[in-house]
Amino acid sequence: MQKIRPPFVFDENLNSSFLEELFEGDTKYAEAVFEDFLKDLPVYWDRVETAYHNRNLPILGTSVHTCKTLFGYVGFTDLQELCQQFENKCSVNSPEELRVDYILLIQRKERAQHVIEKEFARLRLFNGETD
Amino acid sequence: MKLSCIIVEDIQIAADFLRKFCEKSDLVEVKGHFLNVADALDFLDRERVDLLFLDVEMPGANGFDLLDRLTYSPMIILTTSKTEYAFNAFQYHVNDYLKKPFTYKRFVEAIDKLQQQSAEAAPAQPASAAPPADTEFLFIKADDKLIKVRKDDILFLESMRDYVKFVTPAKNYVTYSTLKNMEEKLNGQTFLKVHRSYIVNLSKIDDIRGNTIYILGNQIPIGKGHKEDLEARLNIL
Repeated sequence: MQKIRPPFVFDENLNSSFLEELFEGDTKYAEAVFEDFLKDLPVYWDRVETAYHNRNLPILGTSVHTCKTLFGYVGFTDLQELCQQFENKCSVNSPEELRVDYILLIQRKERAQHVIEKEFARLRLFNGETD
Repeated sequence: MKLSCIIVEDIQIAADFLRKFCEKSDLVEVKGHFLNVADALDFLDRERVDLLFLDVEMPGANGFDLLDRLTYSPMIILTTSKTEYAFNAFQYHVNDYLKKPFTYKRFVEAIDKLQQQSAEAAPAQPASAAPPADTEFLFIKADDKLIKVRKDDILFLESMRDYVKFVTPAKNYVTYSTLKNMEEKLNGQTFLKVHRSYIVNLSKIDDIRGNTIYILGNQIPIGKGHKEDLEARLNIL
């Protein structure tokens, strides 16, 4: 007799209800998106770091904006909010004034990346067991 | 019939989602995906599409720059993660606005809305009902009646999202239609589209300064992609 598997449940740090609506149960596609996220984020984050070190605030704002969009596709809606606030500050603050926010953003990004790495591994395992 | 579209989006994950949604819906055919405005314009110079999925913030030129340079008026759905563009979106007469990331349900709602808009803006007419091209007058449906207006009295037409405003020296008339529809009806006459939102009566132009047309005290912008067409239609000595 075939066992009925429970559906995949996303990590509590992520907006799981949104992710369920976004992926509509397609965990294979979710795995692909999480994998793309892990590949793309370092590329986009490099631009954030370069812009911050070059004190180029317009580019810093645009680069954080891109990361913000990316975070949305893996369910980090709260981090999107933080990115939005940082993005807004880029147009009115100096790099010195942004320093504390920048460090906080790096910490949150590191944590987010770690969560997604774990989530990607779980999705892979889940999909591997399904095949 | 499927709508043809292109995706202008610099974030690959976002573009992949959109492509997947288009395929799943079977309502939209993706003709291409472009990571920046320059490549998209290059394509649009060669091919026409019904619909653009357009990101706003991209490296180099942004989505509104692309709209400024377009020489025709496809339907536009802005895809962005910033809500601050809503006012610009209204000014540029975009058809809908999808905040990223969006779900398949929201995508389908947007496409349904487009299909409804285009059906309402272009009602089918029997061929015999079409007026002859050279008719001196046209009838504008406004204020629950058909108002007879001399074409020669029309100074210019301005797009107002799902409506078009006809400006004459005496009065303005607003009718439920699109500028694209009006462009087709007035094609080949003294009218020319000079901007995404404006068609002018060439015989009414007082003067042109830089990228602005002056008609009886009204200032009409000239879109970047329309300047060449305008110059070709004017008797410049």
